[in-house]
Amino acid sequence: MTSTYGATSSASKRTVNSRNSVNGVARTKILLLGQRRSGKTSINEVLFKSLPPKQTFYLETTMRISKHAYDTVIPLEIWDCPGNITVDTLGAPLSQFSALIFVIDIRDLYKQPISKLVEFIIAAYNDNPQLHVEVFVHKAEKLQEDDKIENFRQIQERVQDHLLERECEQMPYNFHLTSVYDHSLHEAFSKVLHKLIHSLPFLEDLLNVFCANSSSPKAFLFDAASRLYVATDASPVDSATHNLCCDYLSMLNAFGPLYQSPTSTPARLRIPAAEPSPDDPAPTETKDRFYPSAAASLHPSAPGTTLTYHLITPQLALLALVPTGVWDGRRGLVEYNVVFFREGVQEICDVEREARGGG
Amino acid sequence: MGASGSGKTSMRSLIFSNNPASLTARLGATIDVEQNHVRFLGDLILNLWDCGGQDAFMDSYLTTQRSTIFQHVGVLIYVFDVETNEMHKDLEYYRDCLDGLRQFSPDAAVFLLVHKMDLVRDKGGTFERKKKELQEQTEKGQGPGQVLTSVTTFGTSIYDESLYRAWSSIVHTLIPNAAVLSKHLTIFAEACSATEVILFERTTFLVIATSNPPSEPEAEPRNDLEPTRYERTSELIKAFKHSCSRVREEFHALEMELPEFSAVLDEMTKNTYVLIIVHDPTIETAALRLNIRMARRKFEELQGLA
Repeated sequence: MTSTYGATSSASKRTVNSRNSVNGVARTKILLLGQRRSGKTSINEVLFKSLPPKQTFYLETTMRISKHAYDTVIPLEIWDCPGNITVDTLGAPLSQFSALIFVIDIRDLYKQPISKLVEFIIAAYNDNPQLHVEVFVHKAEKLQEDDKIENFRQIQERVQDHLLERECEQMPYNFHLTSVYDHSLHEAFSKVLHKLIHSLPFLEDLLNVFCANSSSPKAFLFDAASRLYVATDASPVDSATHNLCCDYLSMLNAFGPLYQSPTSTPARLRIPAAEPSPDDPAPTETKDRFYPSAAASLHPSAPGTTLTYHLITPQLALLALVPTGVWDGRRGLVEYNVVFFREGVQEICDVEREARGGG
Repeated sequence: MGASGSGKTSMRSLIFSNNPASLTARLGATIDVEQNHVRFLGDLILNLWDCGGQDAFMDSYLTTQRSTIFQHVGVLIYVFDVETNEMHKDLEYYRDCLDGLRQFSPDAAVFLLVHKMDLVRDKGGTFERKKKELQEQTEKGQGPGQVLTSVTTFGTSIYDESLYRAWSSIVHTLIPNAAVLSKHLTIFAEACSATEVILFERTTFLVIATSNPPSEPEAEPRNDLEPTRYERTSELIKAFKHSCSRVREEFHALEMELPEFSAVLDEMTKNTYVLIIVHDPTIETAALRLNIRMARRKFEELQGLA
């Protein structure tokens, strides 16, 4: 049984790598580091391969660096490293990477992981001061609320002390408390992703315009498969709303295959499945394509909100909270706004794709 | 009924109280019998007797309280822990329970749930083995010539959809007009050009009836949809309802236009929800909603609500 989940086995990975190098797309590289059994592979599998969190228990230890390509608004390459890797054995200079995620098991307060993290921070400081260093204090579900906060604080303190000792305290780094069993991992990884998307301000502007014109209090642009949000509007992110959108997306993702009928495949199925080919950008064509959409109405009291879902590109989906009155009464206008938003996002994605060369 | 710690109260809290599986660890042991009245489909009231499973209680059910416990039983649900060490004792109690049923309510349907299936690796094999063992025991318990109405065995787990499958078929036996509802749903499905129409109970989201009832096997090959779709739908909607309740919202209705199909989920009557699945891409969801509104009266009449 364990072998079924050994998605890190070299055979499957190599094909991804070779295809990746053939395409020649400049991928944004993320380094995933941490002690043995701290949860690096689990994070990768849960986010990008939609492995159920309960199954992470069966994952095998990663023995070699495995590189995972993932396409969202920007093409990513995630390097899942074994626990014993050091700056020297990594086999690639740190300057290649855009972000470094260091995973620490929350119960691991001892010196080893922290001194290793400090080594990497110092190396990054020397090689690549632009590198975003993010520390995921992971497996938060293993501890009670009080211990959790206490350990989280202690780990932060120790890292700071170590860096002070080494006179390297200017290097910026962030801490996140994460767990694969709730939405904290998605939220933390989304925040890391935001730092890597250069077109983020434009996406945010588009979302702001959409929200203002659709009287929507909150809208997210999600990566549909991984449920990471790529961008959101200017209003503050309330994690309850984020979680709800996340759950909504996972429900819709699960519904799709449930009522799929092999005998009566609808004509529209062909459309969103195929990605536009690189030599045929033809933005006019996008208008008559079919984009899935959904709406769930919630009503606690009089006003009520509707959660809308519109696929924007094959990877990205717009989730917005719209007052039910607006959705029922002026649905056409909201959808009109979605079309404009979609065109904007697609243009940004096209530019991004062009800049990176390849499809 | 079932041995102590086999998961009776856990499943009750999951199905009838909308609690997530992760919270069942907090439940304590049930002392004696907890009686629950669950209003199901408005006029049908389920009287749920959650019986504590410790030996002392079991002994008293079978002796002093025998007539109270086994009187007017519609359905006996006996839960077996798949990883129990005391299968022998469990089976003995089970045979005694069958005995009690035969004496006081011989028409009762019996459902055996082999629970906590999530703990075993080889699900299919283990379940088949258990099922066979239980069947032998049932025959032994019944004695020659006396056959109880029906005994059905399910493998279940609170962590996946199998529990909904089991409970949907349990409530199905209790709904008096299930066949009538199915017939009307079929007519409704035709009116909507729908592939399938499914009626759910509102609070539990258990399947009450569908437009192609399982009793007509010739209807099945028409569309080879995922066989576990009903249970999975129940599970998904329940999970989403739970996430809604965390932000103090209440789930009301859902419509989807996915690449594979269109679907509308909306209130049918005040205690049921209807899910319409359409594969024809030319059908608008707004039209489906209109149809639901028009059909509402009829279905209220069918349930005797009007």
